[in-house]
Amino acid sequence: MAMKGQVMKQILLTAMIGLWTTGAIAHSPLETTTPANEATVAEVPSEVIMDFKGNIRLTRVSMTHAETHTVDLDLDSFDGFISGYAIPLQAMGSGEYVIEWRGLGADGHALNGSFSFTVE
Amino acid sequence: MPDLWGLASIATKFALYLGVLTSVGTVLTSILFQLSGHRRFTVMFASLGLAATLLSFSLAGATLTGDARGMTDPEMLGLLWSTPVGTAVTLRSLGLVLLVVGLFLGRIGWAFSLIGGGLALWSFTTIGHIPGRSRPVLNLVLMFHLVAISIWIGILSPLRTAALDANGATDAADLGHRFGRMASVLVPLLVLAGGYMGFELVGSLSALLGGSYGQALVLKVLFVAVLLALAAANKLRFIPNLATGDQAAANHLAKSISFEWMVVVAVLFSTAVLTSVLKLPA
Repeated sequence: MAMKGQVMKQILLTAMIGLWTTGAIAHSPLETTTPANEATVAEVPSEVIMDFKGNIRLTRVSMTHAETHTVDLDLDSFDGFISGYAIPLQAMGSGEYVIEWRGLGADGHALNGSFSFTVE
Repeated sequence: MPDLWGLASIATKFALYLGVLTSVGTVLTSILFQLSGHRRFTVMFASLGLAATLLSFSLAGATLTGDARGMTDPEMLGLLWSTPVGTAVTLRSLGLVLLVVGLFLGRIGWAFSLIGGGLALWSFTTIGHIPGRSRPVLNLVLMFHLVAISIWIGILSPLRTAALDANGATDAADLGHRFGRMASVLVPLLVLAGGYMGFELVGSLSALLGGSYGQALVLKVLFVAVLLALAAANKLRFIPNLATGDQAAANHLAKSISFEWMVVVAVLFSTAVLTSVLKLPA
């Protein structure tokens, strides 16, 4: 009986670890971005444009340049739940720019995601 | 692998489900089967549910900023409050407080606890994957699912206590028999409700087996199948033996219920993963 219990505990533990490691976190309703994800552009754009499938309130957007400098982008000019954002960007020269965003859907779901582009 | 906030969200959701379903379930079974003496147990789980409700709200703020600052940021929490998250927190907190208050009000208290339990369960129909479908029928099916699973969880502790009581074999057999009769109707409906909601959320066999949400759902269903097997063993073997005064059956029943608790924990944990960090199939 004790042996059987141990085996069942082992099965449960294995199954839970398997479940724990299944990936895919969070929802990503981002429809398009400018620059597009993984695009290469000649100059640093003055703003990044993010268009969502539904209304969302962005709560934090950060930009990491060349895996070294990370800054939060200014969201003060936006209010309420909207589907389109044009956020001013700080130029940091050539290299890869990674934009990570977090927000709240009008239905109360927390949303997040990221995209990147490279400046030649 | 979920980030730190994702992991915290899973843990809190799990505590929330365990606290709310166990406390509401104990109230429901106490009313349905005229049980008493489970006030402390109920208060403990209702408190767990209330603490998890508040922590879950605070953690949702952290999810919006990506750091601990969001947990107390008035702007983030205010923003959340303006969405269905605020409605769910209000209904759940109010419901659990009412449930606990009712436990101390004597004979009329059961009505308060019942209304409170109903509000706490209904709060789950205000936000989530099922409520997100905006279909009233689905919300009613979800509510039935929650009531039925609460009753199932709620019977475990009283039945185990009765089985372990040296003089309680007859009471345990009677309680097990009465619950078994109810379960023979409730459980098939519970399986149907779960199957219907699963179909609505996942939609196809390929999505069920191909994506992480579907796979986690399959795992949850497997846990539920183990739960069904244990419940069947209790109903068909241990309870009838207990009715004949077989003390060994009492011990087997108590052990079986302890194992049933472990599987319930696994079911609630997999549900917490499904509702916290996994994405529905497109």
